[in-house]
Amino acid sequence: MDLRAEVRRAMAALGQPPPRGGRGATSDLSIDEALLLHSVGWEPVELVTGVSVTSVPWGVWTWGQGEIAAASSAYAKAMAGAAARMGDECARAGGLGTVGVRISVEIHPYHIEVALVGSAVRPVGKSAGRGRAPFVSDLSARDFCLLHSSGWEPLGLAFGASFVYAPRRTALTTFGQAGQNVELTNFTQAMYQARELAMERMQRAALAWGAGGVVSVVMGQGPMAFAAHAVGFTAWGTAVRVGPDGHRHLEPTMVVPLDDAAVMFQASSLRGEDA
Amino acid sequence: MTLAGPGSDLPEAAGQRLGTGAWSSGLSVADFAACGPMGLRPVALVQGFCAMQWGWYAAGPGLTRGGWGGPGGAGGGGGGPGPAPYAAATESRGYNESWPCPHGIASLEHRWGSNYEQPWVESAWSQGFGSAYRRMVEEAEQAGAHGIIDVVDDASYMTEQSVVEFHVTGTAVAVEDHEGQAPLWSTYLAGQRLAKLFEAGMAPVSVAAGLSSVMMWPNCQTEYLLGGGGGSMWVGPYQDEITQVTNAETAARRLVRAAVSAQLGPDILHGARFSVSRRAAGGGGHVIECTLRGTRVRHFKDFDPLPPPTPTVRLS
Amino acid sequence: MTQASDLPDATSHRLEELEHGLFTSDLSVNEFLLVKHAGFHPVGFVMGSSIYHIGIQARRWGKSQELNKLTEAMYNARELAMTRMEEEADELGADGVVGVRLDVNYYEWGRDAAEFIAMGTAVKAEDGTSYRNSLGKPFTSDLSGQDFWTLMQTGHRPQALVMGTCVFHIAHRGLAQTLGTVGQNVELPNFTQALYEARELAMTRMQDEANRLGATGIVGVRLEEKSHQWGSHTIEFLALGTGVTKGTGEASLPVPTTIISLDH
Repeated sequence: MDLRAEVRRAMAALGQPPPRGGRGATSDLSIDEALLLHSVGWEPVELVTGVSVTSVPWGVWTWGQGEIAAASSAYAKAMAGAAARMGDECARAGGLGTVGVRISVEIHPYHIEVALVGSAVRPVGKSAGRGRAPFVSDLSARDFCLLHSSGWEPLGLAFGASFVYAPRRTALTTFGQAGQNVELTNFTQAMYQARELAMERMQRAALAWGAGGVVSVVMGQGPMAFAAHAVGFTAWGTAVRVGPDGHRHLEPTMVVPLDDAAVMFQASSLRGEDA
Repeated sequence: MTLAGPGSDLPEAAGQRLGTGAWSSGLSVADFAACGPMGLRPVALVQGFCAMQWGWYAAGPGLTRGGWGGPGGAGGGGGGPGPAPYAAATESRGYNESWPCPHGIASLEHRWGSNYEQPWVESAWSQGFGSAYRRMVEEAEQAGAHGIIDVVDDASYMTEQSVVEFHVTGTAVAVEDHEGQAPLWSTYLAGQRLAKLFEAGMAPVSVAAGLSSVMMWPNCQTEYLLGGGGGSMWVGPYQDEITQVTNAETAARRLVRAAVSAQLGPDILHGARFSVSRRAAGGGGHVIECTLRGTRVRHFKDFDPLPPPTPTVRLS
Repeated sequence: MTQASDLPDATSHRLEELEHGLFTSDLSVNEFLLVKHAGFHPVGFVMGSSIYHIGIQARRWGKSQELNKLTEAMYNARELAMTRMEEEADELGADGVVGVRLDVNYYEWGRDAAEFIAMGTAVKAEDGTSYRNSLGKPFTSDLSGQDFWTLMQTGHRPQALVMGTCVFHIAHRGLAQTLGTVGQNVELPNFTQALYEARELAMTRMQDEANRLGATGIVGVRLEEKSHQWGSHTIEFLALGTGVTKGTGEASLPVPTTIISLDH
C-alpha cells in the first residue's frame, strides 16, 4: 500500500466540508485493537459505562463469626447493578456485547462502589438481535479476537465474593500455642471456605449461562483496610463457551524480539492508556 | 491579556524559536522513523500553555453552597421544601436533580440534598485547555505545518493550589507534496499507530477533550447510608443501592461523553481515554469529575480491514 | 590530572586497558546485537563527571525572571561532564557515544554543590568510516541501541546530544492580586507568560546548539522541569534531544509485519 498516497488522500478529504448526516461515536479502542476486531469481522460501536453504589449497613464489620453476609450481598448487588447498566447502554448503542471492560471496585466501610467502562462491539454492520442480552466481558480486544478466531464466544462477566470474619483464638489457646509450630486449623479452614465460596459463586453464575469455562479469572483477597479482622475474597472472569464449530487451533510463529521492552505490537498493553 | 500581541497570542520567544534553523521533535526514534513512509516531515516541537486560576477552589464551600452549608446556615435548608438555594446551579442546560428528605421530618439532621452539574467548572477547564491548545496550533501554523502529531496534554497544580497549568505539546509536521488547503489537524497518535489509522481509511481531524463536574450534596438518607445507616435518627427503610451516589456517578460519565460528542459532529472519537476523580468539597459535599480525551477521526474511504496478524510466541 | 586532557590518571589507565581489545558496555545483549547490526562495535564504557558549586542569586519575590547565574552554572556543569566523556571516547578512538545518560547527584557533604555525570557506551564503526560529527568529535546521543539502529535505518546519523536550560523564578502573587480574583475563573497571564518564556528559552538554546553543529533536526526532545533545591518558585527547564543529520545513505527501514503476541 502506498502510504504517502493515502495520507495525501486523507488531506484532500479534510479540505472538504465534513459529510452530513453521520452520527458521531466514541471508542476507547486503539487503532490496533480496532483493526484486530475488524480482522475477525467485528467493529466497535460506542464507549459504554455502568456504575452502582450499594450500601453496607452499619456494624457489619465489627466482631462476629462466619460470613459477613450483608457485605457479600452488597458486593454482589453492586457488581450486578453496574453490569446490568452497562448491558443496557450497550444494547441501546446497538452493541452485541462489551469487551475490554475495566472494572474498578472500591470497598468502603459503609458502601461498595463498582464502576465499569468498556467498548460495545458487534459484528460489522449488524445491530443487536432481539432476545439476547448483550454480554459483558473484561477480555481485552486482543483476547476477544484470539478467542473468537479459536471458535469460542464470551457469555458474560462471572463474579463472586465472600467476606468473612477472621476466626478468633481464645486467650487460652493462644497461650497454649505460644511456643509451638502448629497449623492453626480453624484459620486454615475459615480462609479455605471463604475462598471456595467466592469461586463457587462465580462458577454458579457461569454455569447458569451454560458456559464451558471462565477465562482470565482475577482473584482479589486480603483484609479490609478499615477492619483488619475482616477478610474479603473476590473473583471475576469472563464466562465462555465453545461455538458450534468446536475449537480451532492457532498456529503461532516463534519470534525472538530484539527490543528490551518488547515493544513490537503492544496488543496486550493496548487499553487506550498508552502514554 | 498581555500575552496577545496584535494578531497573535504567542510570546515573542516562541516566534523567534520557530523562525529558523533545525527542526526539533519530541518524537521517539521509532515514531520519527514512521514519518518517512507517511510523507510527514517534522517541522517543530510546538507547545501551548495556560495558567488558570480555578475560582471555585478559592471560593470554598461557603460560596458554592449558597450560604447553606456553613455551621450557621443549616437552618436555610433544614426540612424546607422547594429547591435548595444554590445560586450557581440554576443554569438551564445542566444536570440537576433534587433529593428531598424522604422521612418527612423537619429537623437539623433531615435535610434535602441535590446533585448538580457545575458548568462553570467545565467552562473553566475548556477555557484553559482551549487556550493552551490554540496557542500550540498557532505555533504550528507559524512554523508552516499542516498537522500536529504525538500531542501530549497535562493539567497540573502549580506553585499555588488554586492555580492550574494546562500544558499541551506536540510535534508539528508538514505533509510532503501537499498543495491543497485544509485546516490544521492534530492527533494524540504517532508512529505505526498513525500509519495504521491512515491505512484503515481514517484521517485525524483534531484532538478532542472535555471535563464534566458533578457536585453531590447528600440528603439525609444518602448521608445515613454512606455512614452505614446507623445514626440514631434513622427511620427510613434500609435500601441496597445508594441511588443518589449512583446517579451522580452515572451523570458525570454521561455528561462528559455528551460534552465531547458535541465537539464531534459526524466524526468518531478514536482511542478515547476516560478518567474519573473524586474529592470531598468540604461541608459534606462530594465532587465527581470525569475527563475524556481522544482523537477525532473522519473516514475518507471505506474501512480497509487488514489481514489477521500472525500469532507469535516469544522465545526469550 | 594531566595537562593535555583534563581526565584523572585512573581514567587513562582504565582506557589503556580497553585499547587492547576488551570492551565494557552497559548495553543489553539486544542493544549490543543491534549496534553490531548497524555496523558498529562497542569500544568501552565512558563517563565524565563534574562537581560544581552552584552560586546563589537573589530573586525578587514579585517578579518573574530568568536567573542567569544559575542557568549558567547548570549549563557549564553539564558541558564539563559531557566534554570529559567525549574526551574519554576520543582516547578510545571512538566514533561516538550511544545511550548517554545525564544525571545530577546531591551529596550530604556539599551544600549548594552538585555532581553532574554523563555516561554512555563509546562505539566505533567497523568499516573504518568516520562517523564523527562536524566538529571532528565523537557524536553523542541518548538513544538506546534499538533507537540507534532504527535511526541509522532511516538514513539519518546522530550528531550530538544537544541541550538547553533555563532557570526561572516565577513571581509570587501579591495579596491584593490574589484577593482580587478570588472566586473567578481567570487566566493568569503572568504565570502563563513566565512559563512560556522559560520553556521557549530552553528550547531555543537547544536548537542553537543543534544549528552550531549543522544538525538538520533534533529527535526525541524531552522537556524536564526540576526545582532541585531552590524551592517551588524557582524551576529549571531543561530541553534535551539528539541532533541528527540526513546522511547520504537511502532509507532502508523495512515495512513492519503485524503480529499478535501470545506472550504475557
